[in-house]
Amino acid sequence: MKEVTLKAVVSDDCIGCETCVEICPVEAISMEDRKAIIDVDNCMGCGNCEQRCPVYAIEMVKREEPFVAKVDSTKVDQEKLREICKNAKFNPDQLICYCTGTRAKEVAAAILLGANTPEKISRETGVRTGCKVECIQPILRLLEGAGIHPTPPEGGHQWYGKTVTAWEVSKEVKDKYSKRGFRFEEDRVLLDNVIEQKEGK
Amino acid sequence: MRKPIQPSKARKSEYGVDPKYVEKRAAELPNMTSLLLKDLFPDTPETIYPSDKGIQAVREATEKALKDIDMSMIEKDDSVNICASHHGFTLLGGEPYAEMIKTVRDVVNRRTGAENIRLRAGVGLRFRETEEYIREFGLDDYFKGKTKGIAPVDEGIPIETELGTLYGIKSVYDADWIIHTHNSDVREIHFHRQVDRAVKPFAMSYARIESRSTYHWNLGPRASNFVARAIFGSDLVQEKFAFTTFLEMSPVGAIGVDADNDLYALNDRMTASGLKNYGKIVTLFGEIEDCISVLDFPCPVPYVFAAGVIYANFTSANKDLFDLDYALPPYTWYTEAFYDEEGKPLTEEVPPLNPAINMVVHNYAWGGYPSAFFTEHTPTVVVTNEQAEILNRDPQNQEYMDHAVIADKLDTAMDFAYNTTGTENVIIFDGAMEGLNLSKPLAKRLKEKAEEVSKRVDNDLMPKWLKQRGLDPSILK
Repeated sequence: MKEVTLKAVVSDDCIGCETCVEICPVEAISMEDRKAIIDVDNCMGCGNCEQRCPVYAIEMVKREEPFVAKVDSTKVDQEKLREICKNAKFNPDQLICYCTGTRAKEVAAAILLGANTPEKISRETGVRTGCKVECIQPILRLLEGAGIHPTPPEGGHQWYGKTVTAWEVSKEVKDKYSKRGFRFEEDRVLLDNVIEQKEGK
Repeated sequence: MRKPIQPSKARKSEYGVDPKYVEKRAAELPNMTSLLLKDLFPDTPETIYPSDKGIQAVREATEKALKDIDMSMIEKDDSVNICASHHGFTLLGGEPYAEMIKTVRDVVNRRTGAENIRLRAGVGLRFRETEEYIREFGLDDYFKGKTKGIAPVDEGIPIETELGTLYGIKSVYDADWIIHTHNSDVREIHFHRQVDRAVKPFAMSYARIESRSTYHWNLGPRASNFVARAIFGSDLVQEKFAFTTFLEMSPVGAIGVDADNDLYALNDRMTASGLKNYGKIVTLFGEIEDCISVLDFPCPVPYVFAAGVIYANFTSANKDLFDLDYALPPYTWYTEAFYDEEGKPLTEEVPPLNPAINMVVHNYAWGGYPSAFFTEHTPTVVVTNEQAEILNRDPQNQEYMDHAVIADKLDTAMDFAYNTTGTENVIIFDGAMEGLNLSKPLAKRLKEKAEEVSKRVDNDLMPKWLKQRGLDPSILK
């Protein structure tokens, strides 16, 4: 869940470099006559564009009418929701985004309601519009848990792909590096314990 | 009792309140004193900075450390990226780290003839932060305009590793050679657990969001830093890696500069150095039974520090962060994720946040890092509406102020904290050099406990910490 209180505004200093277009996590920026245009209705106020604009041409301003991006996880089939979380190796009640307080079950619900890309999930739940960095893997894991394999936005570099998880680290790697202090297997057991704590209740 | 040490000055940044709003520092409060680390622990090392020699000592130490480094792989017409991270610029005012970087540039230029030497300075979660430091320390002029503040959302490059495909920031690897310039401050022990500390930037400030997210979600609290080793060990990085240079830190300041063509060899030395130099003060902080914590330093909430220990690690001081037998520190992102909506832990393995922290007075600390967990778990007073507004506007802290109250000035906040908690123990996270600022009763408590803690670390904890990391105790000699 995210209360969206800000929006991006582009000044005349825009040089049309398209950096903002390439990184917007909800694809809310397009180019017109070599100037960035913000789709204000879809801007989630994350500030990614403002933070990377090479000429400081974007400013974040307060919205006159803030809105809340939230999916009610109780409104979807709970069995299917739990299945997605289980496949993705998350406890439905656990956080998957620290900035917006979004939990696995909210993202799973968004997927069940039709959000089939990270961008759509961000628009529906606000996830990945805080720090813009840390929660891409949980989103991709939950999509995969629902059998969805999205492709990255064309022409951008919002995200590239899902990576390894604790359940996929090879025995060879575990054996080779455990003596250096990496507790691969014990951590996997810990994560499994969290998944199982309330799952199915 | 000593007078308080001058705290680190407020810094102008887009991530924090304008320094004009920081009207009073906690060190100016009545009944405050300071402790020098060397008075607590006689084996505290000597520093090269601060010292009588000033910043020249860092330049000399860097020149000396680089003397035997092989740079023969770098040819005159080659391009070289000196890779740096924001964190170094928050240490000791930032000048020592900047000077080390400048010296590395000078030595590489002098010994190899290379002119195309660029600075690639990475960040945490504040994408403009190193741009601010590049300006503040004149690095753009020094590098003849060849500097770049880089961020994890910038264009990436796939890196094939032992863990499969991970992703780095393309501009880190767009040169013939890379030089890894960092520091050994233990800082985020809750994340890396002092395992491969020296390698970590390859999974963080030089990495794309996919790799950083892998670190914080996919592998677990004690396996996560392997992402860094996997990336560093890849063919792509190994083919470009020239050498590394580290500002060796201790809680009292910089104690030297180390360099090596072998990052793993340097990593072993820095791992041991970190345990030796920070282990005692981190453990001593666990002896504090109750206190008011004052945040008073120009960086985000978890990173303000006292005696070299960041506040995030103080919130976990009720557990031994260096002991790898503990899976979850009281604060780390895996732990934070394992509380449900009602604030109840999802597993019995979640330990409580340090119960010794009765209240937090947020006198001066930035946004730009998800910090609502701290106000959710500890009563917090934020000083001034201006500072509250910074946090309210921060996309990473939309809930921080939901759990905090606002005071108009520091004195009001402290009166409230004293009256509510009933404790006279105050610890100030203001980055004071060579020691820490605190209240007199707390200083007395720490002095009383220091000798026992010192013995415990030397005799019991250090051997265990080293063994858990596969290090022979002889490395300390």
